[in-house]
Amino acid sequence: MLSVYLPVFLLLAVAALVAILMFTLTSVLGPKKPTPEKLLPYESGSNTTGASHLRLSVKFYLTAILFVVFDIEAVFLYPWGSMFRELGWFGFVEMLGFLTILAVTLVYAWKKGALEWET
Amino acid sequence: MSSWIHVAPLVLLVGGGLFIMLADVFAKERPELATVTSVALGVSGCVSLAALVSGVAPQTPAFLTSYLAVDKMALFFDVVICTGAALSTLLAGGYLREHGYERGEFYVLTLFSAFGAMVLARSVDLLSLFVGLETMSLGVYALVAFRRASARAVEGAMKYFLLGSFAAAILLFGSALLYAATGHTDYAGIAEGIAAGADPRLVLAGMLLVVVGLTFKVSAVPFHMWTPDAYEGAMTPATTFMSVAVKAAAFAVFLRVLVVAFGDPMSMSEASGWPPALAALAALSMVYGNFAAVSQQNIKRMLAYSSIAHAGYVLVGVVAVFRVGDEAISAVLFYLLAYTVSNALALGSLILMGSKGREAVSYDDLRGVGRRHPMAALPFVIGVLSLMGFPPTAGFFGKYYVFNAAVHSGGGMVWLALLGVLSSAVGAYYYLRVIVVMFMKEPEKGQVLAVPMRSGYVVTALSIAGLAVMELGLMPGWFLDLAVQAAQQLVA
Repeated sequence: MLSVYLPVFLLLAVAALVAILMFTLTSVLGPKKPTPEKLLPYESGSNTTGASHLRLSVKFYLTAILFVVFDIEAVFLYPWGSMFRELGWFGFVEMLGFLTILAVTLVYAWKKGALEWET
Repeated sequence: MSSWIHVAPLVLLVGGGLFIMLADVFAKERPELATVTSVALGVSGCVSLAALVSGVAPQTPAFLTSYLAVDKMALFFDVVICTGAALSTLLAGGYLREHGYERGEFYVLTLFSAFGAMVLARSVDLLSLFVGLETMSLGVYALVAFRRASARAVEGAMKYFLLGSFAAAILLFGSALLYAATGHTDYAGIAEGIAAGADPRLVLAGMLLVVVGLTFKVSAVPFHMWTPDAYEGAMTPATTFMSVAVKAAAFAVFLRVLVVAFGDPMSMSEASGWPPALAALAALSMVYGNFAAVSQQNIKRMLAYSSIAHAGYVLVGVVAVFRVGDEAISAVLFYLLAYTVSNALALGSLILMGSKGREAVSYDDLRGVGRRHPMAALPFVIGVLSLMGFPPTAGFFGKYYVFNAAVHSGGGMVWLALLGVLSSAVGAYYYLRVIVVMFMKEPEKGQVLAVPMRSGYVVTALSIAGLAVMELGLMPGWFLDLAVQAAQQLVA
């Protein structure tokens, strides 16, 4: 059964081989004449100023987490909607329970101030 | 009504968790969330115990039973997990207020985590296993990191989280291999697939990966690296929860997977199955856990290593399942119940002996506490004696039943039991050392003394745990009988 995938594996092997070969050859054969300009992160960009270890505000993470939670909700609703008649009352009650839990979570997040941008 | 009693504890916990979330944000005054949480956990535990004792037949619909077991073992573990979680919550009620960490999230996380643990303990399918495992673990990761300004807490949580994610991935990979080999994800279906001649190499690989993923959660050597850091970094009530409820749930699923899915002669053989692998892990855990605990200076780290050793003892019972089925299972169940109350007692009195800014964590903090505050030291003595396995405490019968099951298995298992007894002798050294420090040493001059805190919550938790330790030690019969019934139902 695995023989079906043989061409895929061959392709993977060839790709890996070519990549390894290229990198090895350039590092072995290529001339190396480093100058301060060449060693900069961006050779033809503007020079960096100040320390690179800045502290950034990470308040995006809350938004991201809330997005994931409610995205999952939407993803769940689609298949449920398309199967609504087959699932009947049982499915309706199940989904109601799920939505109730999520609604409580939203109220909680709201009251806790997770939706405030400026805090 | 009786048809739903087997899942009522789960529903109760979810409802309680949602209620606490709302109460936390809407209450004008600071609500007594610890009371609400421990009552919710206590009621679920009692409902399970009532269902267990009355032996009411489950009539749960099939859409649930194909993922969650409704048997006596599930109810027994409900009792263990709810007891552990309720005791941790009560301890938290005192600890959080005293040390200024009082926030509602702690109780919500504990409740949902306990819910995950209960789902895990009754899972009969690799899918519900994983959902339960993650529900439980995510809550616990957050509990460990609760003191987020403390570097130790964050370090412990980070280690636990990263290693836990890897362990979950390993478990998933094993599940995938088992599905590939047998075409089933439910334990019974996997057993059918193995009997029908699934590729033994795939089955073996899948089985070992699943076992590795689970051994991580019970913190058996060599998958224990996270344990001391996470236990030390977490606040003591969270440590209590992790060491009792999480461990119990992981062992529950261990038993189910091994008995139901891998109960065939091939997987249970001494040559090419799980018994030799788990026996090696048990031996390593007992020896390493006990010897590493000896050299610790921090009591919580010492108890963390001792919990590794205890995981080893329980594993001895788990291995014995391949020879003496229900006897070994009932021994494991009883051991976990005994360990839950003993460890909660020991960690709880550690909480009681400290107060704000002067938490008792090292041996030095405990110097002379027994003379200055005998009532605060007494529960610690009882808890530690029970962990040591001293009669007439719960721990004695726990160890006795487990090693007895190992001896009855015969063969190499007798040696394993002997190793267990010898290594618990090492354990006696460091357990007794705490008692010696508490009663026979005087604090050094100029040392900041740990002063016991005052809290009705902690006293309540310690009274319950202390009574349970003595009850299980003096009259083990009643609970052992329940454990035996649960074990026989699982094997049958």
